[in-house]
Amino acid sequence: MSIASRIPDLESFFAYSIALEEEAAERHEELANMLEVHNNDEVADIFRKLAHYSRLHAAEVKELAGDRVLPTIAPWDFGWDDLEGPETASIDDMDYLISPRRALEVALANERSARSFYAGLGQWGLTEAIRRTAAEFAEEEAEHVELLEDWLQRTPADDALARFDPDPPHMPE
Amino acid sequence: MSAVNEALAAPPKPKDYKSALKPIWCPGCGDFAVLNAITKALAHQALPPEDVALITGIGCSSRIAAYSSVYGFHGVHGRALALAAGLKAARPDLAVLVAGGDGDGLSIGGNHFLHACRRNQDLVYILMDNQVYGMTKGQASPTTAADWADSKLTPHGTGIAPFQPTSLALAAGASFVARGFSGDPNGLAKMLVEAMEHPGFAFVHVLSPCPTYRPEQMDWKKIVVPFEAPETDDPLEAMQRVQADDGMSTGFVYRDQRPPWTPHQEDVTDTSLDGIEAAFRA
Repeated sequence: MSIASRIPDLESFFAYSIALEEEAAERHEELANMLEVHNNDEVADIFRKLAHYSRLHAAEVKELAGDRVLPTIAPWDFGWDDLEGPETASIDDMDYLISPRRALEVALANERSARSFYAGLGQWGLTEAIRRTAAEFAEEEAEHVELLEDWLQRTPADDALARFDPDPPHMPE
Repeated sequence: MSAVNEALAAPPKPKDYKSALKPIWCPGCGDFAVLNAITKALAHQALPPEDVALITGIGCSSRIAAYSSVYGFHGVHGRALALAAGLKAARPDLAVLVAGGDGDGLSIGGNHFLHACRRNQDLVYILMDNQVYGMTKGQASPTTAADWADSKLTPHGTGIAPFQPTSLALAAGASFVARGFSGDPNGLAKMLVEAMEHPGFAFVHVLSPCPTYRPEQMDWKKIVVPFEAPETDDPLEAMQRVQADDGMSTGFVYRDQRPPWTPHQEDVTDTSLDGIEAAFRA
């Protein structure tokens, strides 16, 4: 079953969109905490900022949805193309020594994935209202992609020495 | 509706079931996703945190109790199931989840596991399997492959065939057996909801990679597949299925509808120590 066929109306579309942004925000926050605990403050700050932006986007979608009654969808019933939402960073992409560049590359891949999700609905959405709104969201995601590409360009190349841990956790006893 | 009333009326969110403590697991650890699956399952059922207890043993994964806002008990190594059995007997109204790792649950806690399965008390046991003792810096566990030689303690591997947790659970009489994967937290959340709804001992084996001592497990995402056949209530068929499997298939395996075991309980009205002792001696 394609993702477009799971979204019969605009209410469902908004429910998907809010879930996408909220799940991304929670994951970014989780990754920020994860890296802060392991003293990688530079990358923790990046994920904290990304969490903030995802929360802002979720709030914008909720405002757009207005007083519409949105369906409640269980996390496993969304049927995302991957195992989690398109903008959700995967936990297993993380490493305690992850560099700012790598973190931004992960974020960029997720923004591109969100753009594709909306672009697909912009083309294959079941109603005109879904197609129109999804196309607008795809344009917005394209702007996020550009911002991240720009951020990535301004980020220095990985410094191998700064990523070197002389006492790694897997050092044999 | 005022903002306060709106907040009170809102359905719970997964994050409502997380504590303020930040997990100290290694970044990339599968246990983060198991925590997310548990909190999603609890939010889906809208269970009040005070109606749930999460009991754990010792090890990396057993820290999970501290990261949840439900009642937690970070117990003794290998004894989480014993503690949980006592709690469920005393407080049958609580939803009791038990969690831990492969070392905790199948080595020092192995005997408790067998008897918990055959007792069929209404518990959910989440075994987070990374096939290594992570907290003590990477030794072979009961589920480690015989030829894994990355630990100085077993430089030529253990030479011992690993336990297959789902086979053990079936052989010992668990009435609900499933295998999930931390890389699919939403699918795992669904599995946990069904495990909690199952009246009896529900065993959920979770493949949860260790990025630090078993970095090769980060490739599990590429090899985990759903079981080809649907779940069954025939223990023989279920056993044949998990025995024939390479341990990387996920999904519901087995479920039967035996009534759960509940201990005979005296009606103790005098709950003073003397009263309890008198009831015990009666």
